[in-house]
Amino acid sequence: MSFQHRVRTVYVKELVDILRDRRTLIAMIVVPIVLYPLLMIGSLQAIAIQGEHLKSQQVLVGVLNDEAVADLARLVTEDAQYVAALAPEMKDDEGGDVEPGLGESLRARKYASVEDLRAAVQDRSIQLGLVFDGPVSTDPHVSNRIQPYYDKEDPPSVYAYMRFKAMIERANERIRRLRLEERNLPPTLTRPFVLAPTDLSSPPSVLGQILPLVLVLMTITGAIYPAIDLTAGERERGTLETLMVCPVPIIDLISGKFLVVTTIAILGAALNLASVCVTVYFGGLNAVVAGGGGLPVGQLLLILLCLIPFAVLMSAIMLAVCSYARTFKEAQNYVTPVILAVLIPGGIAAMPATRLEGTMLVVPVGNMVLLARELLLGAHVSWVALATVLLSTTIYAAAAVAVAAKVFGKESVVFADSASLRSTFDRRLIRPAPRPSFTMAFLLVSLLYPTWFFIQSALGEKSGGDARGVLHGTALWMPLFFLVIPYAVLRYWKVDVAETFRLRPPPARYVVAALLVGVSAWIPATQLVAVLKSLTGASAALAEQEQALAEALRTMPVWMILMIIAVIPGTCEELLFRGFLLSGLAGVARKWPAIIACGVIFGVFHYMLIRVPITAAIGVVLALLVWQSRSIWPAVLAHVLHNGLGCLISIDPTLQGALGITEEAMGADRLPARLVLIGTLIFTAGVLLAWWPVGRASPGSRSADALDVSKPAVAESS
Amino acid sequence: MEMIVTENLSKSFPTPDGPDKYAVRDLNLRIEEGEIYGLLGPNGAGKTTTLRMLSGLVTPTAGTARLAGYDVAAQPFEVKRILGFLTANTGLYQRLTPRELLAYFGELHLMTRARARRRAEEIIDWLDMADFADLRCGSLSTGQRQRVNIGRVLVADPPILIMDEPTLGLDVLSNRTILEFIRRAGRSGKTIIVSTHYLDEAESLCDRIGLLHRGSIVAEGSLDELRQQTGEQRLSSIFLDLVGADPVPPIAGAGVPIA
Repeated sequence: MSFQHRVRTVYVKELVDILRDRRTLIAMIVVPIVLYPLLMIGSLQAIAIQGEHLKSQQVLVGVLNDEAVADLARLVTEDAQYVAALAPEMKDDEGGDVEPGLGESLRARKYASVEDLRAAVQDRSIQLGLVFDGPVSTDPHVSNRIQPYYDKEDPPSVYAYMRFKAMIERANERIRRLRLEERNLPPTLTRPFVLAPTDLSSPPSVLGQILPLVLVLMTITGAIYPAIDLTAGERERGTLETLMVCPVPIIDLISGKFLVVTTIAILGAALNLASVCVTVYFGGLNAVVAGGGGLPVGQLLLILLCLIPFAVLMSAIMLAVCSYARTFKEAQNYVTPVILAVLIPGGIAAMPATRLEGTMLVVPVGNMVLLARELLLGAHVSWVALATVLLSTTIYAAAAVAVAAKVFGKESVVFADSASLRSTFDRRLIRPAPRPSFTMAFLLVSLLYPTWFFIQSALGEKSGGDARGVLHGTALWMPLFFLVIPYAVLRYWKVDVAETFRLRPPPARYVVAALLVGVSAWIPATQLVAVLKSLTGASAALAEQEQALAEALRTMPVWMILMIIAVIPGTCEELLFRGFLLSGLAGVARKWPAIIACGVIFGVFHYMLIRVPITAAIGVVLALLVWQSRSIWPAVLAHVLHNGLGCLISIDPTLQGALGITEEAMGADRLPARLVLIGTLIFTAGVLLAWWPVGRASPGSRSADALDVSKPAVAESS
Repeated sequence: MEMIVTENLSKSFPTPDGPDKYAVRDLNLRIEEGEIYGLLGPNGAGKTTTLRMLSGLVTPTAGTARLAGYDVAAQPFEVKRILGFLTANTGLYQRLTPRELLAYFGELHLMTRARARRRAEEIIDWLDMADFADLRCGSLSTGQRQRVNIGRVLVADPPILIMDEPTLGLDVLSNRTILEFIRRAGRSGKTIIVSTHYLDEAESLCDRIGLLHRGSIVAEGSLDELRQQTGEQRLSSIFLDLVGADPVPPIAGAGVPIA
């Protein structure tokens, strides 16, 4: 029976099981069906009450000059007479009341400039700003342009604008009738008044503001109950043991359960979204909620699609958290702080001033709230931003699933022999281990991912675009995050540091291989970058960034460049990725899956999407070096050489000249054919030397393959 | 053929202060095919930990266990395919029917869906469960639940049965259902290891008995052999004789009376 079959078996059973539970159905179907209409009707009534109140309120209108005051006064007086005369006729189609003109409640205020006027609307000291393009002309061939300014988020302002608009429409109608009656004037199509309104509100609509957060929260809520029921619930009811004695790997069980939780969460999100749409549509709330633009149905579908990786993430987190609990109650206690932790980034993202850029792209939960908002508002979301949000969410989800799988099968959690959380964090209960567990390694890298992104953004901001500041900062902070923190984690959980980082001398052969790879890798890499750039279209921003970096580097002494670009990143990245991460991967995967996964994660960690494939490929080669030599040093050597050479050649014309590269060709990432050929050959030779089991094939390759996998990983830590 | 073999099987837990605490220490068992072996001892003697190690639920800290030749640590899935596991507080999925539940566990024991369904039918016939096979497990009586549980154990027709206090806290009728099942399974050639602290149960059921005390076997053999060793007639007296001056061992905590 295949993995898929087993997972499907678990999935089908758990789905049937959970859907038969009344509580699931209530949470999933009844709540959204009832909640949104109630919420909407409530707010609709509030708006209606407010409207009544507004009718009796004074309206302050800002204008720019005395003529405008006079014109406005005349318009208002004529409108009042017209409405009084034609009142019976003026009932609108639905038999509702006529929107009253501004009438007697109007007070005009003069402002010196359009800027002042706008500011007054924005700080809500007036409700409406009107800019006339000149004195109102009665010439039938002239359209009088009026620019109203209002704030859609301020109900009195919206109401004032609506009243003014109604008045202008009536004026248009009135004057046209007059012209037709007088006959001697042509019934021209020119409208006497044209409005060009500007909305000055900062947050554009209720829908865009609230709905993303509500959706995100409902997705989380949807995941909670099944996550508890399928983990702690199973334990509490005494069925977990029967499951664990089945000849099925725990990862299959947890995968099936995880898919069920995700399904329920997505179904819940879809039902919530549908309920919102139905309520808005049938409640006639389009204008109020979506800011007059109507419901963006296409965008809603897109949001639902984006919610899928988010539902995956939240399901995995909930599953991981609930797996620690032995009873329903305990699980609920664990879930509460998680929800609070999720609300913080969600809340920050929901603030109108927050934008989907920089660090927010990788902030868990926050990035999804922002993405949903941008999509709802029809804002342009670049594919890079979209990919970054989805990719980072997927990484976090994978980490959470790994934790859930680890915790779910943990003896101390399955059987109430000892305190489960304690056995993970109480150092006295931790047994020494030769290398970190996969969960520990992956979780650490996943947590470093947004943290490092944040640090880089912060450095960029602090140095005000000066690439040197970023470089110095990176060199300073990298050892802390890539070395000190992993080291501290290893020491705390009593993991063998030397074994994890593979701090042993390498066989000479791999030093040679590393030298070959290190001196040549930049050549195929440059070629591949050029190909990718031509495929995706060169980005001006990227080129500018590279230019700034090169400029900054040219002002530095060579030793400093080598430290900052080659030695520090080369050493730090190798120890973290090819040391810590690869050791963790070696516990759960065979040679090639581990090496490839290590390379891909390394690639993704570099944030620049265009370079991900190349960085990943280099990561794979470096991981191969470490796996075969069982030592970190060849990879460090190759990495340092690669970074140092690549950087020096790109900024130093003398070196370029020596290699026969013209400056122009360098800018276009085009290298001379002969150089490419030789470089690729050297690179291939290096890779083959590392890869090929020369001579003592059996003991050499076998022992390298083994990587001490027989020793148990740190089961107790994650 | 020896179906269950352990060598120096041990499980210890790290303690916040001082040395590790042993739940089971250097346990050596040899159980023949078709044998019903009783593991006896007070609460906390290490019975449950031993049986969990045998079924691969708990990893031993030292020593090995082999079931039908398969190493529990190295070949956990092969081992799990040939064993059935039952305890008194084993639960059922409340919202599934016995029929669905049996088929589910059939599939989890690597049967195809069709095969698992057929097997569920056979079990329902065999254990006379037709009356309640399509009710939700949550609505069944205790006796009916016991039968579903037995059915679950038998779905994969395992040659080895591991039962941890299967009668603990059951009423007389359910108790009889379980004991009858063990006897029948024993007659049909299955190898059974059953733990209990009801000594009379062990007397009536088991071919051989191992007395477990503080994680180690203190005596082992058929009832007659044990009688000869100690000169006592009743199993409870034998037990008290063996554990010596410490009739209610402090490790048993509050101490459930033996017998």
